[in-house]
Amino acid sequence: VLALIVTRPLIVGLANGAGFGLVAIGLVLVYKSTRVFNFAAGEFVTIGAFGTYLTAGWLPFPLAMLCGVLGGLVAGLVTEFLVVRPLANRAPVTILVATAAVAILCINVELIFGGVRTYNPRPAIHDAAMHVGGVFISWQQLLIVFALLVAGALLAVFFGFTDLGLATLATSQERTAARLMGIKPNRVSMLVWGTAGALGGLAGVLLPPVTISFSPAYGTTDVLIAAFTAAVLGGMTSIPGAFLGGVLVGVVQSMAQFNLRSIEGANALAVFVVLVAVLLARPTGLLGREA
Amino acid sequence: MARPSPAGWAARAAVVIGVVVITLAYVFSVKEFRADNLAAGVVVAVGALSLNVLVGYAGQISLGHQAFIGIGSFTAGYVITQSHQSFYVALVAAALVGAVQAAALGLIALRVRGLYFALITLAWGFVGESSIFKIKSFTNGGAGQPSPRPAGFTTDRGFLFICFAALAVVLLIDWRLMATKAGRALQALRESPAVASNYGVNVRAYTLLGFAVSGLYAGIAGALFASRRTTVVAGDFSFQLIALPYLIVTVVGGLRRRGGIVVFALLYELGGEYLPDLARGLGIKYVAVRAGYFIAGVSGLLAILTLIFQPDGLGTFTAPIGRWLKGEPFQLRS
Repeated sequence: VLALIVTRPLIVGLANGAGFGLVAIGLVLVYKSTRVFNFAAGEFVTIGAFGTYLTAGWLPFPLAMLCGVLGGLVAGLVTEFLVVRPLANRAPVTILVATAAVAILCINVELIFGGVRTYNPRPAIHDAAMHVGGVFISWQQLLIVFALLVAGALLAVFFGFTDLGLATLATSQERTAARLMGIKPNRVSMLVWGTAGALGGLAGVLLPPVTISFSPAYGTTDVLIAAFTAAVLGGMTSIPGAFLGGVLVGVVQSMAQFNLRSIEGANALAVFVVLVAVLLARPTGLLGREA
Repeated sequence: MARPSPAGWAARAAVVIGVVVITLAYVFSVKEFRADNLAAGVVVAVGALSLNVLVGYAGQISLGHQAFIGIGSFTAGYVITQSHQSFYVALVAAALVGAVQAAALGLIALRVRGLYFALITLAWGFVGESSIFKIKSFTNGGAGQPSPRPAGFTTDRGFLFICFAALAVVLLIDWRLMATKAGRALQALRESPAVASNYGVNVRAYTLLGFAVSGLYAGIAGALFASRRTTVVAGDFSFQLIALPYLIVTVVGGLRRRGGIVVFALLYELGGEYLPDLARGLGIKYVAVRAGYFIAGVSGLLAILTLIFQPDGLGTFTAPIGRWLKGEPFQLRS
């Protein structure tokens, strides 16, 4: 009984949450340095998922996974260059709507070529890895948690110890002063959007096997809100916060889904409640310093 | 400002009458299914005008309009089928319920502003989609809630007149409201709530008013949506099918540009109707089958281009006509 009520939702939630965390880190990076809420982030995920699915047939699987990540990376760079940069000096809401327009464009391109159907992607490693308290844990679930840890660690090193990382932080804090110090905001923006795209792509490669299937618009309908909630939970500007927030949202969501079966859409409801509660009670999030 | 001469007013009246006559002639002479399509366009127009109140006037944003429209639709269906009331009662009920749910969401907007609030609307939309619209007693489950058209207007052509009438009422409310103190207060909030507050604008009251008005339009759009389809099904109200396209229509039509929004809403739906025929005529079956996706995708692209190059959208072209009709001299720029 314990296995069904606690352990299973916990494990599923941790794995899903790791996926949300990857996307949330991308959202935080973009918000920190360009003050943009990126509503196209969900489709970076879907592009990653399709990138792997379509190339898996004729490439060795690790290369196919790389293709997925690259797909997300390219999507991020293109969005930055063609949409965000021309709108750099406009109201935040304008850029938000523009990224939403990118999302609808991507969704419909996916629908045109992918059709209304679900795809079952293959996991990187088959088989269950172990079982804890009567619940199986798959390698894929371990892998996605591992990926989140590695991504978090790499970014911590990047912002803490490299010049480029410092330049990114400086730009986020004071754009004009950073430019006067010889930092090129455009280059920073490119870097951040590329990283966010690649993280989204990575989530798209690793998450769909955990959630069993994906379809066009997968990233927007299944991942985007959870990722945003995770980012907000973490304070929108804190990378460790996004990391923790992702895991937390994943667990809350799957706890609700497994244990409140009588309520339809309990997972969406749970995310909404968490989001509203956090924004009303503690707008700076759990680890954020400024709203 | 110089008022037009009697001849000038006559010319303006002639244009309005001409447009009405041409529209009527079109509606009565062309095949039925185009009428249904125009009605769909009018529904999108009312929905987009609802978004315009929030995004255009009040400076808020809603990414959860599938919940706004859907709640209106299911309310209308419920009132007609379960409470055995007429379509007109249902229309009013849908408008009121729409206004109340939007105002409730607006209460949150008082505390959480700007981009963060956008997230709340996004999550609210999905609550509607995956929770509220799955409540069987409210929505009648997968079979959908029947919402027949009113007696005397059951044909597509007849129902189109109901839609046009509703659109005219919404446009009239919108036009007059924005010309009052309340409208100016709402728009002052967009620029800066702090400054508006210093000039004596009641920030809380007018924010809630903005939401209520938006919800009112959304409820009307929902009731029209329901009766156009005659059965309301939960699957119609998704983020991709409602929230995003309506937002795109509002942006491409032009924020704060009623005329542009209505014109683009009609183009959006008519495009979905004519493109398959056109593609089939050209022998491109691939496009014909997927016309809806092409229209939506191209609209997304148009929205990006609009935001970058022409922030007023189609309104750039309709606004001068609108100003002229209101009695100002014809000028391309205000």
